[in-house]
Amino acid sequence: MEQWIEFAQGPLFAFTFLIMLVGLGRLVLIQVYSLLTGKGRRLQNAPWRKILTDAATWVVPVRHLIPGTKLFSAVSYLFHIGVLVVPLFLADHIALWGRYTGIDLPSIGYGLAHFLTLFTIASVLVLFTFRLLSRRLRSMSRPADYGLLIVVLVPFLSGYLSMHPSYNPFPWDAMMLIHLLSAELLFVLIPFTKLAHIVLFFFDRISGLHWQLQPGAGDKVAEVLYGKEARV
Amino acid sequence: MDGSTNSAAPIGVQAPQIPKYPYYIENPVTDNRVGRFLEAFAAILTYSDYRPLLDSYCTSSAKCNRCAVACPVFLATGDPRDIPCFRTNLLLETYRRYFTIGGWLKSRFGGGFELTEEIIDEMLDGFYRCTACRRCTRECPMGVDHGLITHLGRYILSLIGIVPKALQVSVREQLEGETRNTSKIPKAALLNTLEFLSEEMEEMLGVKLQFPVDQPNRDHVFFCAVSDYLLEPDTLMGNAAVLYAAGDWDRWTIGTGNYDGINYGLFYSDWHLENIIKQLIGEVTRLNGKTILIGECGHASRSAHDFVPVFGGREAYPVTNFMEYTLDCIRKGKITLDPTIVTERVTYHDPCNIARSGWIVDQPREILRSFVKDFVDMKPAGQDNFCCGGGGGLVSVDEMHEFRMSIGGRVKAEQLRQTQAEICIAPCANCKKQLKELVEYYQLPCKVMGLHDLILKAIEIPGGKTPAERKEDAAMFEL
Repeated sequence: MEQWIEFAQGPLFAFTFLIMLVGLGRLVLIQVYSLLTGKGRRLQNAPWRKILTDAATWVVPVRHLIPGTKLFSAVSYLFHIGVLVVPLFLADHIALWGRYTGIDLPSIGYGLAHFLTLFTIASVLVLFTFRLLSRRLRSMSRPADYGLLIVVLVPFLSGYLSMHPSYNPFPWDAMMLIHLLSAELLFVLIPFTKLAHIVLFFFDRISGLHWQLQPGAGDKVAEVLYGKEARV
Repeated sequence: MDGSTNSAAPIGVQAPQIPKYPYYIENPVTDNRVGRFLEAFAAILTYSDYRPLLDSYCTSSAKCNRCAVACPVFLATGDPRDIPCFRTNLLLETYRRYFTIGGWLKSRFGGGFELTEEIIDEMLDGFYRCTACRRCTRECPMGVDHGLITHLGRYILSLIGIVPKALQVSVREQLEGETRNTSKIPKAALLNTLEFLSEEMEEMLGVKLQFPVDQPNRDHVFFCAVSDYLLEPDTLMGNAAVLYAAGDWDRWTIGTGNYDGINYGLFYSDWHLENIIKQLIGEVTRLNGKTILIGECGHASRSAHDFVPVFGGREAYPVTNFMEYTLDCIRKGKITLDPTIVTERVTYHDPCNIARSGWIVDQPREILRSFVKDFVDMKPAGQDNFCCGGGGGLVSVDEMHEFRMSIGGRVKAEQLRQTQAEICIAPCANCKKQLKELVEYYQLPCKVMGLHDLILKAIEIPGGKTPAERKEDAAMFEL
């Protein structure tokens, strides 16, 4: 088992993390390349100030707590804090990041880390329950929408149990292996699922730029479908 | 509502099954709608640049459903099919399945989405139940622009002949007809109307004015929603009164080559949007004007403001909405509004195209607060406002009247009722028509008018009657 853990902490970690980086990098490159080549000088016309102001309101989205969404939105937002902070700044994780990147991140205390972990677990369960019980959420949800919540839940749950042997009914090394493998599954899934909003968030929010339509495109589309004499 | 018509077939020949459309269309499409839809979609993807947008939305749409409670249509129906994300997803799934490698691979393994006639039916209904107000976009944590997807979905549908007849006929007249405007008002009728307005203004304001027509080298070339010439004389006279009182009567003109600011292309077609903008620019160039001055119309303002720079190239004239011009006149002390004239409670409806999708929120409020004592805002207001329920061109589709009243505008009617306002200002031709119908439908004790209709009552006219005298005249007339 130790060898498996070593493998999961070593080459498999590096490999899956690389997949995530390359995958996300690919998405960013495609977006940047398409926008630069597609929009060109029209990028200057975009309402950049409005775009940036709008994006900024989502950093602390208090004013977006509109009736009918308050609890779901608050949980969604707070959930992201735990999901970002614990994997990056827990002391044990910092060692792992340091080993591969050489970056020495500051550590949060265990107390805070444990609280955030429990909060994240609770948040996932709340979000899952909402998705299951709310008619309008259920009507929109695909299996992946439920599945991804589970995929996010497992590394947090297994991580917490690994750190708290008194609550853990399973052998420590089995739990640690689950923790590592589930986190690595998450790495692999991120670029190929809606979790890619880690980077695509910034490209989704620029619709003001997408309204900078392609001059001449309409005439070409009409011509290719109906010939040069295309009429309204 | 069934807007389609079944043509009679000879005995023994089965009549083609014509799908039901929720609005009248010129030639109901009967065959191979799926294939034609995909062909049109492919052409758009080839020549336009929607791909990065669709790629991004396809991957990261969270389906959190916040958009649902932002949407006035969903709030009225509670029907999951009215959730913006649901509607958007119909188009995103189509893109993913037919235009991405992942979708193609998935279909090879026998799974996933297939575009069917039923889904086309859902799209042609759903994209026209959306008023394109983009309130959902504002509340989408991912920033998915459902309004833009509605625009794209309608664009594809229009290319296979599925578009409300009311919109198509108007655009055809504007781009290919003799009059070059959506209301088919010939030049002679325009000139008659302007003469009539001159006479009205002389009687009302006590000054004789001749509307400037086809005057070259003027600072402003004026475009309003052309229907205003028929339906909203007070708005136009209000505009004219401001220009006269500000001493700018010799700085503007109306062009007879093109006098329609309406651009339904914004609602359903990139193709028409661009050509209408080019027509607008052409008129300013013909008259050697310096700026485009748009009257009280939300979508006309947005389409000119946002798309003249996109399609105008070197002829991208600056675009000003009339309310901006009026506010500038007030700030510079060029006009004075009498604060004793309007005693009623007044509220303001933010047209989505200039508030949420535009740049005009504070300007009209500053104007109103300068002369209206009892001004009250709706809740929510400004960029968070609710659509009037007739946006996205729906107000022009008469056969959707019941939808606009009982569903699209229900939330707005309630908002309006809560203000207890006697006057609702709606500086947009579309919103004004919809709100007037809503007020009647819900029997609200409120009068709907344009901002310049109200300004017309209170503006001080140099050398003319005072606002108090005009108020007295109006009271006498009503008696």
